[in-house]
Amino acid sequence: MRPFLLAGAVAAIVATALLAGGAVSREDDAAAAPTTRELVRLGLRELDTARRTGEPSRYARSEAALEQALEQDPAEVQALVGLASLANARHDFREGLALARRAHRLSPDTAVVYGAMGDALVELGRYRDAFETFDRLAELKPGIAAYSRVSYARELLGQTEGALEAMTLAVDAAGGRGETAAWALTQLGKLHFSRGRLERAEAEYRRALAALPGYVQALDALAHVQAARGRLRRAIELEQQAVQQSPLPQYVGTLGDLYRAAGRPGLAREQYRLVGAIDRLFVANGVETDLELALFNVDHGVRLGESLERARRARQARPSIEADDVLAWALVRNGRCGEALRYSRSALRLGTVDAAKFFHRGMIERCLGRPVEARSWFHKALRTNRHFSIRWAPVARELS
Amino acid sequence: MRMLVLAIVGIAVTAAVLSVKALAPEAGQASSHREAPLIAEDPTADTTDLYAYRSADAPNSLTVIANWIPAEDPAAGPNWYRFSERARYAINIDRSGDGKADVIYRFRFKNREGSLFLGNTVQDYTVTRVRGGSEVVVARGVTPPNNIGPRTTPNYRQQANAAITNLAGGGKVFAGQREDAFFADIGAIFDLVAIRKGTGNMGGGKDFFANYAVHGIALQIPISQLDDSDNTVGVWASTERPRMKVRWYRKNGIRRASEERQWAQVSRLGNPLINEVIIPTKLKDKWNRLSPATDAQFEQFYRTPILAAVINQLYGLGVPETNRDDLVAVLLTGVPGLNNTGTKLADMLRINLSIPPTASPNRLGVFGGDLAGFPNGRRLTDDVVDIAERAVAGKLKGHPAGDLLGDGVDGNDVPNLGFFPYENDPPSGFDNAKGQQKP
Repeated sequence: MRPFLLAGAVAAIVATALLAGGAVSREDDAAAAPTTRELVRLGLRELDTARRTGEPSRYARSEAALEQALEQDPAEVQALVGLASLANARHDFREGLALARRAHRLSPDTAVVYGAMGDALVELGRYRDAFETFDRLAELKPGIAAYSRVSYARELLGQTEGALEAMTLAVDAAGGRGETAAWALTQLGKLHFSRGRLERAEAEYRRALAALPGYVQALDALAHVQAARGRLRRAIELEQQAVQQSPLPQYVGTLGDLYRAAGRPGLAREQYRLVGAIDRLFVANGVETDLELALFNVDHGVRLGESLERARRARQARPSIEADDVLAWALVRNGRCGEALRYSRSALRLGTVDAAKFFHRGMIERCLGRPVEARSWFHKALRTNRHFSIRWAPVARELS
Repeated sequence: MRMLVLAIVGIAVTAAVLSVKALAPEAGQASSHREAPLIAEDPTADTTDLYAYRSADAPNSLTVIANWIPAEDPAAGPNWYRFSERARYAINIDRSGDGKADVIYRFRFKNREGSLFLGNTVQDYTVTRVRGGSEVVVARGVTPPNNIGPRTTPNYRQQANAAITNLAGGGKVFAGQREDAFFADIGAIFDLVAIRKGTGNMGGGKDFFANYAVHGIALQIPISQLDDSDNTVGVWASTERPRMKVRWYRKNGIRRASEERQWAQVSRLGNPLINEVIIPTKLKDKWNRLSPATDAQFEQFYRTPILAAVINQLYGLGVPETNRDDLVAVLLTGVPGLNNTGTKLADMLRINLSIPPTASPNRLGVFGGDLAGFPNGRRLTDDVVDIAERAVAGKLKGHPAGDLLGDGVDGNDVPNLGFFPYENDPPSGFDNAKGQQKP
């Protein structure tokens, strides 16, 4: 039996609650039949709450409301875009693309449609189409949505300065206050961090926390800066705050890595076990997590064989450079270096400047018995970002 | 465009706007660590209101006021609102009635380096006048800071007054944080009650915009610089942002094109509430991108307004739902004998500059027998929500419902100033009326 079927008690409770709740909140049951507009509002609000709080049970509520809206009015573009975004959030990018295309046929002049469509295309590895879609979005409506996506596209293309320029425009458009501003500032900081610029990253994260005190993404990002500086106690405090607000697998995993780095393996293991439990919660709520879980397990040396299969499945479902990279990393950790090299090349085909991908390539070269090439990739990784991973950057430094 | 302010009767319409403006899934990256907020805020490009009138204290000038950044909350932590540095703001004036700007006053703002997080929200700005193909900088001004409180920003009135700048060749300008002069009962509309008392013509509403601020631009332009033979000009505000393409950066990092040189309009505002109430969801982005000169393509939505049907559903008033030539005239060509600019359909705020200001303005403007108010221009005190509701209800067609509707809020919560820049000083964070002091 696959571990999926062993979904824990928590997941079962959530699933029961969803069934019982009819997936639409109680206030609405009491009122008369909700209008299409109200359903769209509810659906989008639930989707946003899921994103903000990391509560995956919101996805089903969002879906029910949006589906009902679409039943009432099959031409409701906002419902279609909402469902496309929801499919993307659950990592079902083929479905996301199909829904966005339906919305596009109905409303080719509406900017949001291109956002959802481009997001799906990126994750499906169809970069040329994705970038054209983002260009179209930026043509129709330059603003936070367009600038931040152009920034991501440029990041994928290895154009860090261009990505920074675009994200700076997004920050400017966000106006300095609230969650959107905090999000854009955090993204800006992460771009700096990805090139090892700790001070500039930290400055942006602090601006994000000023724009929205306690902003969870900035707390997590700041924890990485503190860890890079060797201030593990401070990093752990920050990550604990992040996890308390929003127990997403990546935050919990980072907290585990920080405990491990601080010499507390017992506490680390506790967090790692939690990652598995939370993951099952996401799966129970219709989120496809093969890629994320494969990466976590391969990174942490857990169930390597099974994780390789998971990575293969993930790459089939979403053949992006991220999936290429995770598959390459899973292959090399299973000792299959030749095949790994093929996927590493594919992962780097856009010219992306990403220290982790360079490091993975170094491990592949090392496995292939090419120590000179391996060291050169390790150097490249560390030159890009000396602190690219709490767990693996020290390994890269040792091997370089 | 107002995000929250589509102060018009009708749950359906309100919900429509909310879903589009406040919750549209605009930003949002797929992989979870990049996922952006779904709420697509673009507050610094969000034009909330536009006013154009001859003020009693400066009757030989046209006063234009445009506001951006809706619902600035002075009480929600430090007050750090600013105009966008990377956007281009414009007041457009059409003298010939063709829906194309003959004179543009263009604003660019610049932050002062690194000072925001010490609470410094002062921005430097330039005003460029574009006329007949030539561009002239007619003013360089400085905004006052946001009103934080008596310790950080003392003597706010004097600071704001000192920020008024003369335009080269006559006239003056002000830009900065202001009290939002707009008034409407949004709270009631969101509570699915629409109007607190009856159909609203008896008052009894609550001004949702009390104690909120906006960022305003106020211009006073000598009429002698604008007037033409038919005395009527059309005014609209617009915001542009730099265009951008993924591949405008080369792999080696050398820029291929300057993003600052190509602009795309992202919002416009002529007559109030058009984007919220008249233009259907699917076409809002398109409408915002275009100039009034191409508005003929949207005529059907003025001629057959959704709002009329909603009013009938809610109140059973039997207001006319089709063939609304009256609305087409008010909003797209101007009213014959008052401020008509010909047959060209263009959504602009039209004002006949030969009509002098009234000593005691009527909040219902032309509907109240006062020709110096909306839809002949728009003054701060014009009750455009009530006017719009009544207009849609058929006031101009003599329909009895045209005297019934309203949101029950008839004026701003604080007095406007009797002098330039007319919108009052913003509420300070310290004095805000929202919190409650514990004994």
